[in-house]
Amino acid sequence: MNRLCTRGAVVTIASMVSLLACGLSVSPARTLIEQSMFWHMVVQMPMLVLGGWLLTSLSTGGRCLKGMEAWNHFGLTGFVASQFILAYWMLPLSVDRAVVLPSADFLKLLTLLACGALTRHSMQRSPVVVQLFFVGSGLSMLLAAGVVLATTDRRLCNAYSLDSQFNAGLGVMALAFALGCAWTYRVLHPSREADRQPCNGCGPGRPSDLVSNHDHPNRHAC
Amino acid sequence: MDKNSSQAPESRPAAGGLWKTFTASVAVAVIGLVVLLQATARGNAFTTETLRRTVVAEAPQPVPDFQMTDAAGRATTLRNVLGDDGRVWIVEFVYTRCQTVCSSLGAVFQRLQQQIDARGLKGRVGLLSISFDPEHDTPEALRTYAERMRMDPAAWRIVTLASLQDRRRLLDAFGIMVIPAPLGEFEHNASLHVVDARGMLIRIVDFDDPDQALGVALSAVQ
Repeated sequence: MNRLCTRGAVVTIASMVSLLACGLSVSPARTLIEQSMFWHMVVQMPMLVLGGWLLTSLSTGGRCLKGMEAWNHFGLTGFVASQFILAYWMLPLSVDRAVVLPSADFLKLLTLLACGALTRHSMQRSPVVVQLFFVGSGLSMLLAAGVVLATTDRRLCNAYSLDSQFNAGLGVMALAFALGCAWTYRVLHPSREADRQPCNGCGPGRPSDLVSNHDHPNRHAC
Repeated sequence: MDKNSSQAPESRPAAGGLWKTFTASVAVAVIGLVVLLQATARGNAFTTETLRRTVVAEAPQPVPDFQMTDAAGRATTLRNVLGDDGRVWIVEFVYTRCQTVCSSLGAVFQRLQQQIDARGLKGRVGLLSISFDPEHDTPEALRTYAERMRMDPAAWRIVTLASLQDRRRLLDAFGIMVIPAPLGEFEHNASLHVVDARGMLIRIVDFDDPDQALGVALSAVQ
């Protein structure tokens, strides 16, 4: 019963986050991301990734991506894809494109939702060392982008003012720090998600599971 | 116990699965690299501004024609202004109420005017300021701006769009993005655009490097 309630809540939250994030690309809410780089890079983009992450949990244990499992051992393929997606949308020219071109904005919605879904799929089947590598490089990229945005005296995005760019830079840095804390917490306290989703069989790596979590005790449930 | 011990070997990825993952990861990495290199002009441009400079430097673009009004209130066209005497033009975009970047551009044009005068280049290189704010920049406003900037009409001319409807097309043609700023002002990217005697936009140079703009203009003089 509790599990059903939790699942219902996840469905609701996933749908709301994804809809809200996509809704920011539609008038009249679109003015928020057109006028504020903070809303674009620190609110909408992370919400899209979070929405993708949560949407995969709609089918228990990411079953909707089950066909991908054979292609994503240790989470490698998903991590590589999500890193490239993140790298692309960290480029100032990509951010400009998403503001100016509706087609680029639509691509942004799709790819960032996919990024969230792929990241979750990979996190569930990767040992901590692999997570450390990809999460580390992803967060380093975010942090570097934030520092550049907050410290340069040049407008990097033609679509936004210098003030807006500065605020976005601070927000991106804070986001990188928060995600780093969240990942560390998840690694140190892996039991909650593993208990909720015994079916994925490849829950988050435990501290004692630094090399592989393929022998996860719940794996037989798959 | 038996069940668990018999499950563990199955949970490890088979060699075929690892190959699939390896192949997929390499394919994703290659596609990602190609997309990133394509988006950034082979890694040369990470902002819209540098991208358009790279694109124009590699492939000069024809400047479309627009109806213009000069400081005397006479109707003219951009093609007439740019092509009437075989000069190479250095073009900037301004609006005369601007207190920020246009002032810097104005100072840069003043220095260029002095150089053109001192080196006797008036017949070969011209300076053109184009106002993208025809609502406020009446011929009288242009004349006031010209006096404030101490424009020498033989070296430096100023025109404004005849119709507000052409603004978007004009700005797009030169890659200028204008965004609203507080106090009714605009914020826009500032560059020096070199247009040759055939009406081709051949180079876009940073506004704080007027020497390079003049060098490019002189090399394009026939």
